Amino acid sequence: MRVNVTINGDQRQADDVWEGESLLYMLRERLGLPGSKNACEQGECGSCTVYLDDVPVCACLVAAGQCQGREVRTVEGLAAGDDLDPVQRSFVEAGAVQCGFCTPGLVVAAHDLLRRVPEPSDPEIREALAGNLCRCTGYEKILDAVRLAATRQASGAEAR
Amino acid sequence: MSPLIGRAVPRVDGHAKVTGGARYAADTHVPGVTYGTLATSTIARGTITTIDTTLAQAVPGVIAVFTHLTMPRLVTPPSPYPKGFVPLQDATIHHNGQPVAYVVAQTLEQAQEAAALIDVRYHAEPAKVAIDDAPGEEFLPPPGPEGPQEFVHGDPAAGLANAHKKVDATYSSPVHHHNPIETSATVAVWDGDQLTLHESTQSISLTQQIVAQALSVPQNTIRVLTPFLGGGFGSKAPVWPHTLLTAAVARQLRKPVKLVLTRAQMYTSSGHRAEFRQQVTVGAAKDGTLTAIVNISNQQLSRTEQRVFNTSESSWMVYGCPNIHAKQLGVRLDLPTPHFMRSPEGPALVGLEMALDELSYELGMDPVALRLKNYTDLNPENGQKIGNQNLPECLKLAGDAFGWSRRNPTPRSMRDGNELIGWGMATEAHSYHARASSAWVQIDTDGHALARCGTQDIGTGTYTVMTQVTAEALGMPMNSVRFELGDTNFPAAGFSAASVTVSSVSGSVDKAARAARDAVIALAVADPHSPLHGAAPDRIVTEHGFLFLTDDRTRRDSYQGVVSRHGKPVEATGSFLNVPGYTTGASFIEVRVDPWLGRVRVTRAVAAYDIGRVMNHRTARSQVLGGMIWGVGYALTEHTMIDRHTARIVNPNLSGYLVPVNADAPKIEAFFVDKPDPTSPVGAKGFGEAPITGVPAAISNAIYHATGRRIRDLPITQDKLL
Amino acid sequence: MKNFEYARANNPADAVRLVGDRPGATFIAGGTDLLNLMKDGAQTHDRIVDVNGLALTDISHGNGFLRVGALARMADVGAHRAVREKFPVVSQALLASASPQVRNMASIGGNLLQRTRCGYFRDTGSACNKRIPGSGCPAIDGENRGHAVLGVSDHCIAAHPSDLAVSLIAVDAVVLTNGPHGERRIPFGDFHLAPGDTPERENVLTHGELIVGLELPLTPAAAKSQYLKLRDRATFEFAVVSVAAALDLRGRTVNDVRLAFGGIATKPWRSTDAEAVLRGRALDTATIDAAGRAAVHGAIPRAHNAFKIDLVQRALSRVLHELGGVR
Repeated sequence: MRVNVTINGDQRQADDVWEGESLLYMLRERLGLPGSKNACEQGECGSCTVYLDDVPVCACLVAAGQCQGREVRTVEGLAAGDDLDPVQRSFVEAGAVQCGFCTPGLVVAAHDLLRRVPEPSDPEIREALAGNLCRCTGYEKILDAVRLAATRQASGAEAR
Repeated sequence: MSPLIGRAVPRVDGHAKVTGGARYAADTHVPGVTYGTLATSTIARGTITTIDTTLAQAVPGVIAVFTHLTMPRLVTPPSPYPKGFVPLQDATIHHNGQPVAYVVAQTLEQAQEAAALIDVRYHAEPAKVAIDDAPGEEFLPPPGPEGPQEFVHGDPAAGLANAHKKVDATYSSPVHHHNPIETSATVAVWDGDQLTLHESTQSISLTQQIVAQALSVPQNTIRVLTPFLGGGFGSKAPVWPHTLLTAAVARQLRKPVKLVLTRAQMYTSSGHRAEFRQQVTVGAAKDGTLTAIVNISNQQLSRTEQRVFNTSESSWMVYGCPNIHAKQLGVRLDLPTPHFMRSPEGPALVGLEMALDELSYELGMDPVALRLKNYTDLNPENGQKIGNQNLPECLKLAGDAFGWSRRNPTPRSMRDGNELIGWGMATEAHSYHARASSAWVQIDTDGHALARCGTQDIGTGTYTVMTQVTAEALGMPMNSVRFELGDTNFPAAGFSAASVTVSSVSGSVDKAARAARDAVIALAVADPHSPLHGAAPDRIVTEHGFLFLTDDRTRRDSYQGVVSRHGKPVEATGSFLNVPGYTTGASFIEVRVDPWLGRVRVTRAVAAYDIGRVMNHRTARSQVLGGMIWGVGYALTEHTMIDRHTARIVNPNLSGYLVPVNADAPKIEAFFVDKPDPTSPVGAKGFGEAPITGVPAAISNAIYHATGRRIRDLPITQDKLL
Repeated sequence: MKNFEYARANNPADAVRLVGDRPGATFIAGGTDLLNLMKDGAQTHDRIVDVNGLALTDISHGNGFLRVGALARMADVGAHRAVREKFPVVSQALLASASPQVRNMASIGGNLLQRTRCGYFRDTGSACNKRIPGSGCPAIDGENRGHAVLGVSDHCIAAHPSDLAVSLIAVDAVVLTNGPHGERRIPFGDFHLAPGDTPERENVLTHGELIVGLELPLTPAAAKSQYLKLRDRATFEFAVVSVAAALDLRGRTVNDVRLAFGGIATKPWRSTDAEAVLRGRALDTATIDAAGRAAVHGAIPRAHNAFKIDLVQRALSRVLHELGGVR
């Protein structure tokens, strides 16, 4: 089938898609967006987290056929050009990035958390990121990054 | 100017990683790429009697199905290739999950559908998968690259006989899997007789070598690229069959082939930590002086490889004892070949550090005092210093920060509501290897520097730290320096494993950068247009991209000025072989145990290490945080379950194999002694794998302190504490 | 995974027909379990009928009950104010399930049809009576730490994985369906089947019958309810054992109580025997212990899961002490 889907604000088409393949496969192998990572194919690690109609989901568990006419936002669509989103900037500055393979999914999940809960408590952060496994960082700096991004957003909001 | 080395600069590759711009092996876009997938055996031991691929061949989009009958012939590479055989070369099955067919199709889904339709019939033989399945079959394997499997020093029997107190106990740990978040991937692209491999590997040079051996082609016809790696932890240090098969299949089909292992396939395709059992006997005099250390261990080997991957070196390296006996037995089982896993000293040290905790209770002596009484800086094998001299400082740094002196040693002495609180500690130790490395540095006419080395960044921060090393050696700001790695066209380096990268590569990068700097200085003093013309080269220093005369800083030039007048880039190379060494530290752990439900939480961890000069406080600290959570998984949650009858892994995924989650992570403090190691030009020791080695024991010791229950079989799940 | 045809349903009748027509067809909603089962080859279908377009997402009040549409997402139901206030046990069970991403995707109806996490069931390289009837059950003598001790048979000991279902059976929910033979109301206790000698049959739905919603009766006990989930890591894991308890006390006396358990049984496990021990009695430690013994009566332990019999009694005790304010 031909899938019409809005990705990071752009109208995109993918041809010869089998409806049963995953959104993740379509993004990575057909649409040139390999930022979302494939690590478990089973919704068990969160590395492929993307927004689907503004809700974070595991792209590996969405069938491509289910994406017709919908909106997808991936890690590639968070920054405005070279201007990183505060969450991305905080991940770099807090040292929340090591091998980087879980990072795209974590950045999207953290981005979603801070949209819903601007000043999350530590347990809220841990729960919101429970679906994102990281094997390198020990998670502490990921918490630091989310706290830093929250502070940044708060001060940014005050400045406005 | 304060030195760049040591500064906690953010990762230079951070931007690429948070935007999805970092390209890992499986992200490689190759026009016309086809998709490979493996069909794997469902038995552990036996032979294939028939294999029917008719239905698979008929799936639309399928390009080829290779079986042991049709696969191109390959040469089995010698060690360090760890398998001892190449699959798809004959009908013999050595373990469950062994490839029995390689399918290539236009899309991944087509390949996977076809793979599921292959009908394989076997003659199965009984398989053994656990140490308990093979009583009496253990043997002393021949010496490996790490030396003999038995070490005797003094008279251990007499040492035990003379002991005032003794502990004699058996400790065990199960099979673990590395589970890097990135599963292994290979993209093989042939252009005539030239092969490019986009590979997820901890060693591009080893990949080049082993693939060349397997395919019987010259090594220089293969280029391996690994600009980014999504974690390895040892699983990607060797070269495994899927890489050889993909290269061979792509050559046969004259098409690029991409193979990404599934998570389930990672459990049978890239090694694991072998099941390990050890009897540890320690004895001490009344004052705590150790009189004997005996560690007799047994671990799983495969049918096709007898190298021992869990090492007992810590039994004789950390503590000075006149009487030591360490013996590493192995038992061949019908499982895939195990391999090194962060950290191979862990299993043995876990036993020793639990036994010493038990001994401290027998003696009525503080466990820290017991370690201070016995630590040594001398290798009993050769009497040489090993670099353990700062262990007392580590114990003090971490112990003071933790508040250890306030500890009441009596078990069950701290309680908060439903929970018992316990404090435990352990020494940590890890040896790092020697590896040769070479690097190349070029200073361009725009004053920017480019450094290249065929090393890897496995997530530990090689890009960042080597940018720091280059910039400091040149006297340039970091943003004038670009460091590139992960390409076999660059000067060669060793693998990124065994905690060797920083201590090895920093030497060659530093040398190459200093040589390039000296070449620019030489150009400057010889250049009549330079303010430094005629100056003595040894009176010139470089800082922030400028060259100064030390006694008259108004006389200065810049890299850009000198090299642009020179009219072409200046380049230099450097080579270095690091001295292997030993890195030690200590971790202190607080646990909270709900004894009614058996639930354990690790709530606080403080650790200190002597890692030589700290290259980057941020990346060094990250290694501690990561190692600590590995220790939590090792102690409490991680366990690969293998069915004793079917010989199949029943939890080959991330929902049944429990990697710790965010909420399992304790609050962690990390300290470093931060004294330069004299054997390294930049003062660095190998470090990455030291954190984790003692953590499981420290957690178990803390659980004992909390509950009075000594659990010697890991992981410590809630059922063991009811 | 095996190739299949994808169809989209525009209304319930359409959905029922598209699946009912074809023996190999099934519905897809969130897809969080179905797609995994199909990737693993544990389940195959030649047609998948997407029901996400149906208007079945509402959560609304009825006369004495709360109605939850089958396509409401786990995250939305768990966070819904009426669910949190009137059925805390349901909200807690939902929020203790899976991960935020999966809860955003997974539907309430689909969750009830979630299949066991038994490693043998999900591995096509192993025998499994549930997947291939008659092929055998390696779990009975195998790696059965995660398996059931109640509701087991000689054919299957796989534990039911859903937290939500445990909470729903505790509040006497009703499953509303629409199928080839019309609409049905199925009391939750009748919905799931123990394996017996047909472990491949897990519920009473007929082919083509679609879950359209749930009714949750409003009761004083449901409003004072709690879910305790014990697992081997802090979050994002299936239950080792879990307890759903709803308690209505008059003074110290138990007026009404509902007890259900997860992780220990082949289906969501309600213990009316344990409830009977408590009902009409003063809630104290001795009664609670007696209820615990009643709950596990008839349990059959295997080599690695005997601890669950002890642990679930401890968990029940903890919940009832907390819920009932018993010291």
